[in-house]
Amino acid sequence: MAIPSKIAWGVFVIAILFLLRGQPLSAQTHNVDVAVVVQSDTPVSNLSLAEVRKIFLGDRQYWSANTPVVLLIRAPVARERDVVLKVIYQMSESQFKQYWIAKIFRAESASAPKVVYSNDMANELVTALPGAIAFVDSRDVKPGTKVVRVDGHLPGETGYPLR
Amino acid sequence: MSSRSLSLLLVLSTSTVLFAQSSPLSTDQGHSNQVLLERIDQLEKRLSEMEERQRKQDAIMAALLRSSGSPEKTAPMGMPEAPRTPPASASTAPTVEHDHSAMRDRAEVREATIHYPSLQIRGFGDVDFSATDQKGTNSGFNLGQFVLHFASPLSAKVSYFGEVSFTAEPSTYDVSVERSIVRYDYNDSFKMSFGKYHTPIGYWNNTFHHGAWLQTTISRPEMVKFGGTFTPVHFVGVLAEGSIPSGGLGLAYSAGIGNGRSSLLSKASDSGDINDNRAWVATLFAKPSQLYGLQFGGTAYHDKLTPLPGQNFDEWISSAHLVWTKEKPEFLSEFSNVYHRDLQTLRSYNSQAFYVQLAYRLPWQQNKWKPYYRFEYIHRPNTEPVWDITGTASVLDLVGSTVGVRYDITNYAAFKGEYRNTRSGVNEPRVNGAFFQTAFTF
Repeated sequence: MAIPSKIAWGVFVIAILFLLRGQPLSAQTHNVDVAVVVQSDTPVSNLSLAEVRKIFLGDRQYWSANTPVVLLIRAPVARERDVVLKVIYQMSESQFKQYWIAKIFRAESASAPKVVYSNDMANELVTALPGAIAFVDSRDVKPGTKVVRVDGHLPGETGYPLR
Repeated sequence: MSSRSLSLLLVLSTSTVLFAQSSPLSTDQGHSNQVLLERIDQLEKRLSEMEERQRKQDAIMAALLRSSGSPEKTAPMGMPEAPRTPPASASTAPTVEHDHSAMRDRAEVREATIHYPSLQIRGFGDVDFSATDQKGTNSGFNLGQFVLHFASPLSAKVSYFGEVSFTAEPSTYDVSVERSIVRYDYNDSFKMSFGKYHTPIGYWNNTFHHGAWLQTTISRPEMVKFGGTFTPVHFVGVLAEGSIPSGGLGLAYSAGIGNGRSSLLSKASDSGDINDNRAWVATLFAKPSQLYGLQFGGTAYHDKLTPLPGQNFDEWISSAHLVWTKEKPEFLSEFSNVYHRDLQTLRSYNSQAFYVQLAYRLPWQQNKWKPYYRFEYIHRPNTEPVWDITGTASVLDLVGSTVGVRYDITNYAAFKGEYRNTRSGVNEPRVNGAFFQTAFTF
């Protein structure tokens, strides 16, 4: 009698797990694309993901000889920051902080990316600061900024990597 | 047997019925839950943005009030109060709001704009404990190095970096300027700097510098040890560096001319070249974009050494490195050959050193644990006039293993514990040691 009971419980548990499988455990996944925006005067309109990474790693620091890159990144917890850390840096929050401390300590960069607290603020600073580049929610892109194609795709298009 | 079948049938049928009933329900419910969660998320996001905006408006208003001076605070005692501005009427409200928005924008831009000079100071420190079975050594605590790092953009294209270390000595502290660099950036391909550097030979010496918190392990490899003589740790002179247009290969270079080693081989000639002969160094490395995390490259270095008056040696150092800088896993490896030629006897000597270090950031407990292992090796000829002249700081014929773990307490502090087993010569006994360190930045 003990064996059938075990089997029955096993089947029951499997059945429950099977039913739970359909529940929205990953319902919080978001599919809204994150746009890469620069000032309209910035001489760039298409970047590969590797180039975006190079820029945000601080390995490319100039758009041209007279226009330094100004990095803007959302404050922790913002979804845009999560996407950037996951796709671009491939780092945790802690690794990101350590990366920039080490980068400045190696005298490779004079400062870390500037922190912005909202998409509005990111749009405003991109408009105001020559050479600025930021990630904003694609629904919040404002006139006066230029959305950069990444790997040839704009936000919303199939194959766009930042989401 | 029949009861088994009955139970199984009962459970299966119940499960099937449940599944049949709840499948469409769970799909609908799942969809509406997803929609609701997305909606909540959007609202939370909007709320946080509004709160942030409000906070900034309040801060700006408070700053404006402070700068203009509120009548209650600025009116002197006994003097008549200045007439207050009448409250804004309904018709002027949008103008006021527009003004606030413009002021907020200006404040944000002002805050984000770099002002020159803009000094940033960061400190590094560590406290160590060591215990070994080597004869004549004592176990105990050691304050390690206290390091201050200064970074200051002087203009959009000129920046300064400085590093000062304080090292505990038996009766005092040894204060040393480790790096002092002023750099002019023309563009990404050409950056020129002057000052005192960590010699750009190989990987470790140019990456980790003096903050023990930056490196995974407690100790540096012997071949790049501070105070060591195998390769010159410091370099005083001029350095050009930058990227080389190479597509996805990610090539970069650095090339410099400087004073080279002083008569004390572990030190750079900070106060002037001792033999009127410039050292030069050239490094080429690649960071392929398709293999993010990979770096490999090579270095050539040449100097003329004068460890004692009248004794001159040619020094050639060739070095190669291959590293994978991500932490799952982290892999560092470096090899150097040091060639010395006695300019009197014309006899030449070659010494080799390498290390291989492997670490892995474990996924548990918020990625705080990082075990590591390093093997290192140095071989020098039995007779090597340069190393022999230097006496106590002489290069060892070394084989060593280090195994340990790093635990990141916070983003800015870590505990490390490691065991080392080293043999410092062919007939020397092996030395075992346990080492602990807490390293931090602030």
